[in-house]
Amino acid sequence: MAKHYGMVIQIAKCIGCQACTVACKFQNKVPEGQYRTMSPAVGPIGTYPNVSMHFGKEACQMCQNALCVDVCPTKASHYDENGLVMVDADKCVGCRYCLAACPYDARFINKETGAADKYTFCFEERLSKGLQPACVSTCLGGSLSFGDVNDPNSDVAKILGKSKAEFRLSELGTKPRIYYIYDGVVK
Amino acid sequence: MDIFWGMPAEEHLAWGGLIALYLFLAGISGGAFVTASLTDLFSKKRSAKLIKTGAYIAPVAIILGLGLLVLDLSKPFHFWKLLFYINGNSVMSIGTFIISIFVALAFVYGLLIWAESSSKSAGFGSKLAKFVSRFAALRKPVAMLGTLFAFSTTTYTGFLLAAITANALWSVSFFGLVSVPFLAVLFLVSGLSAGLAATLLGADRSDNVGTYKKIDTVLIVLEIILLAVLYSTVNPLYFSGSMAVLFWVGVVAIGLLLPLILSIYSLYRHSNLLIPVSGMVIIGGLCLRYFIVYSGQLY
Repeated sequence: MAKHYGMVIQIAKCIGCQACTVACKFQNKVPEGQYRTMSPAVGPIGTYPNVSMHFGKEACQMCQNALCVDVCPTKASHYDENGLVMVDADKCVGCRYCLAACPYDARFINKETGAADKYTFCFEERLSKGLQPACVSTCLGGSLSFGDVNDPNSDVAKILGKSKAEFRLSELGTKPRIYYIYDGVVK
Repeated sequence: MDIFWGMPAEEHLAWGGLIALYLFLAGISGGAFVTASLTDLFSKKRSAKLIKTGAYIAPVAIILGLGLLVLDLSKPFHFWKLLFYINGNSVMSIGTFIISIFVALAFVYGLLIWAESSSKSAGFGSKLAKFVSRFAALRKPVAMLGTLFAFSTTTYTGFLLAAITANALWSVSFFGLVSVPFLAVLFLVSGLSAGLAATLLGADRSDNVGTYKKIDTVLIVLEIILLAVLYSTVNPLYFSGSMAVLFWVGVVAIGLLLPLILSIYSLYRHSNLLIPVSGMVIIGGLCLRYFIVYSGQLY
């Protein structure tokens, strides 16, 4: 079976240390004040004494039906050979149509290049060299896992076999590659 | 606001005032062109002043709008890439070509209309006018083809926003017709209305503009119906908060109700209220674009 890259996020394991946020900024030289990924606090939810809080993860959801790719007038936003959504900064004119189209608010205009920018699974810097994305390899609590969902021996396939995962805004039909597992979390 | 990542709401808006202004200018340009070209093609009296005004507004407004659009890019000097890298699925990519053709036609039409009235007069530019006059036979074909592209350009501004399917305000369909965005129809009516109003401002006192006033009144009524439908279709949140004043005062009161009351009054009393009515219709058209662009992103 063909490779199907995916990321699994076990929300309950995230302690909000933001190591992923920082690792991404260093690895990808993301300008000050801008982020490809971050793990903001969600909550507190509920009424005292039944309150809870968890950390979400904001990043490009790597949709297989990406609205940003559809609207991009220059094909700067495109699917690469693995079906991952990527931005060709050279083709991008900075019209921000993709920023408006993305339902996950995952894109921004890079202050230095002027092009649309977003999370890439560290494709060029790490994934293509056989390494895990920077955020995954630095994750302290083991909340983040990355790999080939179609390979039954991969971490991601094993976790997905055990727990029920969901996609964000699945009703939009975007078919993301980021799997969220909320086991042990009050949403 | 998030306790870790406080971010001002402004940062989330992909498109701001320049885009709203551009959508408005594209609408007014299309409306002015249609007013001039249809008068040129079908009116027996053929008011020269009116045709001239519309034919001049069209290229100026659309070129100004495109200028704003290029300025709004984060890489303005790379705008030419829109013409070389094409995505047939992208409404913006298709629109780039529709608008480019419209700009060319509007410019040529304006030039032909200008030459028609300037070739007889001596002095600066008369040589150019005489040269352009050789192509006078092109005027009607350009007017016809231009009308098609004027309609397309004005409608396109609605398709542009509606292609963002994740946006519940922008992607509303026209009475359930999936392939017809509500905004395309709304912007077409509003663009025609504002373009017609702007063109009428340049009409001669001697011109009988009664027919045009009646058409504008019909367009205003249509727009009121469309907005009422939109209001009852989408989440009322879009019309609340900071957007409430813009919508109720700018779009509804100044842009629609007051001009409607005044134009009906002037039809019966035969008084000339053209300037206030047209002015308010134009302001209303601008408010509508601002309202749609901002409200769709704020909520």
